[in-house]
Parts: sequence; C-alpha cells; structure tokens
Amino acid sequence: MSRLTLAIPSKGRLMEQTTEMFARAGLTVRKVGHARGYRGEIDELADVDVAYMSSAEIVDALKSGSVHLGITGEDLVRENISDADVRIGFLRKLGFGFADVVVAVPACWIDVTTVSDLEEIAIPFRRAHGRWLRVATKYRNLTRRFFAAKGFGDYRIIESAGATEGAPAAGTAELIVDITTTGETLRANGLRVLRDGVILKSEANLFSSRGATWTVGLEKLSSTISERLALSVPANGGR
Amino acid sequence: MTAETARDFEALEAQAQTLMSVFTKAGYDAVAPAIIQPADVFLDVIGESLRARTYVFTDPDGAELCLRPDLTVPTCRLHLARHADPRTPARYCYNGAAFRFQPQGADAAHPREFRQAGIERFGDAEREVAEVETVAIVISAIERAGLRDWSLRLGDLGLFSSVLDAAGLTPRWKKRFDDAFSRPLAFRDSLKSFAMDARTRPLTVPDSLLASLNRKDRAQSEAAVAGYLDQSAIELIGTRSLADITDHLLDIAEDRDEGPLDASAVALIGSYVDVAGPARTAGIRIGEIMKCARSATALEIYDRRLALLANAGIDLDRVTFAAEFGRTLAYYTGLVFEVRTKVLGSQSPIAGGGRYDGLMRVAGAGVDVPAVGGAIHTERLLAAIRGGAS
Repeated sequence: MSRLTLAIPSKGRLMEQTTEMFARAGLTVRKVGHARGYRGEIDELADVDVAYMSSAEIVDALKSGSVHLGITGEDLVRENISDADVRIGFLRKLGFGFADVVVAVPACWIDVTTVSDLEEIAIPFRRAHGRWLRVATKYRNLTRRFFAAKGFGDYRIIESAGATEGAPAAGTAELIVDITTTGETLRANGLRVLRDGVILKSEANLFSSRGATWTVGLEKLSSTISERLALSVPANGGR
Repeated sequence: MTAETARDFEALEAQAQTLMSVFTKAGYDAVAPAIIQPADVFLDVIGESLRARTYVFTDPDGAELCLRPDLTVPTCRLHLARHADPRTPARYCYNGAAFRFQPQGADAAHPREFRQAGIERFGDAEREVAEVETVAIVISAIERAGLRDWSLRLGDLGLFSSVLDAAGLTPRWKKRFDDAFSRPLAFRDSLKSFAMDARTRPLTVPDSLLASLNRKDRAQSEAAVAGYLDQSAIELIGTRSLADITDHLLDIAEDRDEGPLDASAVALIGSYVDVAGPARTAGIRIGEIMKCARSATALEIYDRRLALLANAGIDLDRVTFAAEFGRTLAYYTGLVFEVRTKVLGSQSPIAGGGRYDGLMRVAGAGVDVPAVGGAIHTERLLAAIRGGAS
C-alpha cells in the first residue's frame, strides 16, 4: 500500500496541542531519529509518514499537494489559498488554536462602530490628512475580500510583519486587521473590535489536499484519522 | 498568455506611428515617462481595488516601486519635474507599455501587459473646449488608424454636484452624497437611509454627549468630547485628531436633529441617477429634471459640450450619456468618456479618459490643476480593426 503524509506544526503551542490531541485519540505520534528532526510516525498507523513543518510550509504543501493531510489554522489557509474551498478539504475542526481575525480601531473613535462608519469617515479623513485610511495587517487577502464584500474601498493596506496592534498608536496606520483570542492585547493597545468586524472565527483544522495523489486505501486511512480525532474534540467544540 | 507574434509587433508599431502623428500634428509634445514608478503616488490615487491589480515590488534599497498601471500619473509627474509652476499650460502625448494583473488570466482583450497611446493637457482655462478637443483628437486618431465602427459614451461627475445643488440640499447633505456617489452599491442604500429618520441609527455615543455639541462653538465641543473620553478612561491614540472625531460627531448630532431628507429631493436624485441613453435625449431628460428645480447652469454646460462635439465633426447619433458612468473610476472629477466598438463589446472599451483636476495635487503639485486626457488601448484597437480576431 502507498503511504500517507500528514503535516503537523513543528513547534510551539500548536505542536503540543496536536500531539496531545492524537494521544487522547489513542494515536502515538513520535519523531523518528533525534529529537530535533523533522520526520515522525504514528505507532498505531504504520502507513502514515508524519512531516513536521512550520505553519506557512503546511499551507504551501497542502496547496501544492506534496502532503495528503495537514493540521494548521483556518486563517492561514484562507489567507494564502484564494480558492481554498476548491483545492482543500475541510475535514474537521479540532477545538484548539482559536483565533478571530478582526477589524480593530482605536477605542477613542467613539464615532465609529461599524464598517459603514469607516466608509463615512474615509473621505473626510483623506481631505484632512491627504491620504487614505491605512490598515496594518498581515492578512492582506482576507482584508481585501472582507472590505470588498462590504463595498468599502477607500483605504490602503500597510504590510505588517509583527506587532500589528501597535501600529495605530505608533502612527504608522489608522486601524488594523489582526488575530485575537481574548481581546486582551487589543485592549492593552487602546483598540476596539468593530461590531461587524469579525472577518473569520478561526481554529486549527484537519485539512486534506485535493491536489495530492489519492488511492482508495489512502482515502480510507484519511477517514480513519479524521474519525479517531473526532473522539478527542471536546463536546462543546473547545470554545 | 501567448507570446507576441512578429506580425503583431509590426502592426502595433505601424499603428502607434499613425496615432502619434495625429497627436503631434495637433500640437502635443511626445514624451516617454518612466515605466518604473514610486508605488506611493499610485496607491494614494487609485485606492486598494486597483492596487490589487498593480505589480508592486521592493527594490534592493527597500523602496516600494510599481510597474505603471497607466500613463496618466507618470505624465503628471513628468510635468511636475519640468515646470516649477504646475499650472503652466502644456500638452503631452505618449505611446508606451502599461501593466495590470488579470485575476482570471490574461486574454487577447485583457492582456496584463499592453500599450497605451494617449494625450494629456494641463492648465487650460476653457474647460469644455479642452474636453471636447481631447475627445475629438482621440477619435480622429482612432479613425486614422482605420476604425470606422465606434460609439462614444459620456458621463459627468460634476453634473451630479449640480443636481445636488438643484435639489436644495444643505452643504452637509451635499458632501455626504458627493462622497457616497463613487460607491454605487452603497449609494442606493444611503439614499434610502437618508430618507429615513436618522434617530433610528444605532450608536455607542450617549445622547447627552451629542446634545452637548455645538458647531458654532468648536472649542467647547472638542472639550466635551475630550471630557467624555477622560471620564470613560479611553486614551486618545492614533493619527485621527480630536478635531476629526468631533467633526464627525457634530455631523451625527445634526443628522439626528434634522430628521429625514425631503422626499422630493430623494426623487430628484434618484431620477437623475437613472438617466441613460442617446446624448440628446438624455440632455432633454436632464433638462426636465432640473427644470422643476429651477437651475440651468449644469444643463448649459451639457448642451455646450454637445454643440462643441458637433462642431468638431462628431456625429451626435453615435454619442450616449449615462449618469452612472464614471462613478467608480478612481480619479476623475468632471467629464468622463469611453470609446466602444460593437466587435469588442462594452467590457472592452478601446479608449477612455476625462477630466481629473485633483490628480496633480496628489502627485505632488500641492494645488489642483485643470487636466484632461484620454488614452487608447492599442492592442484592442488593432483587434477591433481586424474584426475582433486577434
């Protein structure tokens, strides 16, 4: 039988939670060779190769079809694969890695609570300051799609590599699109989420790549993994 | 996209010579603005939607640059580099490559790399004369290149302002409509919601704060907003100033007090937006709409343009007008036009242009400069002349 490749996060909290989840499902994931290696296996499923990758690499591998299955955040898949619903199978929500992608503005903008308020202030702002409202984000595609669907176009995206939530106070952007879990970081930076500003409620998912080479046997194996993992998703979905 | 054939190359070169000779004989200086442009100027002008179609890149020094998505902004920048006073009258023509990403993949009518041949003129005081000359020169160049079957579509972003005046709107309502006009989807909604009672709008600001604001006493109003922020333990951060926030709150407060927009004004605006058809008929229709509002200036401009077009030898039977046309184009401020052919259809105009008085300011002039221009999509023109087969 041909072998199935499963990509899982290579570091951090996501890796720990993934390993714990497999353990609760009765599947023992272990690294092959030394502890800092990037290949692994599952004791109970002999035909599975585990590939430890960074989150960005997992998305690329799912897109290109070089892995069959992958575990990563929905935000990264939606941001980096424009036709995700066509190329990717959303097999199962896993109940961890929660992050909402949101539009947040300075809390002192008491006159702005919705996206249509943004539209209302955009042109007066440009008149007064000689430039568009700037949106700092690393989610350039999610942002464009969300605002386009709302008919809002009077803004510019400023690419942000890190510490996005500090951009408004630093004066490098007027508002941001970023991920938040508890909202604590946003509040600490003087920001507030717009009432209709939740772009995506993201969590870790088990994804399949439609571009990978599948056989009947591999599809069966993929279902087995998905069903076993279902057993360890908390009853309330983890929220 | 398939590679350009030697036959296309020679045909395009020959066509460009024909077009450029029409332009230079009409007194336009041939120029070749830079292909690589600073991204900032473009992105400020075109907004995020066209940005998604602009090839933006970073050079080894970290500067953000782009491949020009059109030649109008580069020509403005060239003019600024040549003249200390941006209002110095000048006429330029060009033929060169422009670049736009095509989301559905490039095809013959929408190549991602195409050549524009066009003219731009700056600093003309005679507005309608400059506009009509621009249109007439573009059309005569197209005809000289060999195209007989064309139609001309006009729009006018300035006319909408006049309609708002005629509707008797207060300056604040007028400003909001002007702002909303460039967003067709949102516009009909706003028209509906403006006609409703603004008091029904949900808001997080307490009525007591809104009630304490007064446009005649800005200092006191700003102090009230600052006091409210203080009291709520909200820190003032970011580039939007207390004055910006207070201004918008004053608008909101006045919306609440003023009540809904007059129904006859809503009807007037709605019927103007629906005007579309042959230019002469549309003019009569606009006349009817404006007559009940007793305003004639806008209509005079409209009629004067048509008369000038007829004088320039343009057959008015080929000219249509649509009030909606031009609303979503990034930087136009007055007349807009496009030239279509039956062969390529409405989605692929072979030429377009208009008035863009505000562009020079954004490009760095610091002042508005009267500006009109038009450009021909040369690959489409060639395809249309060949009968649609490319």
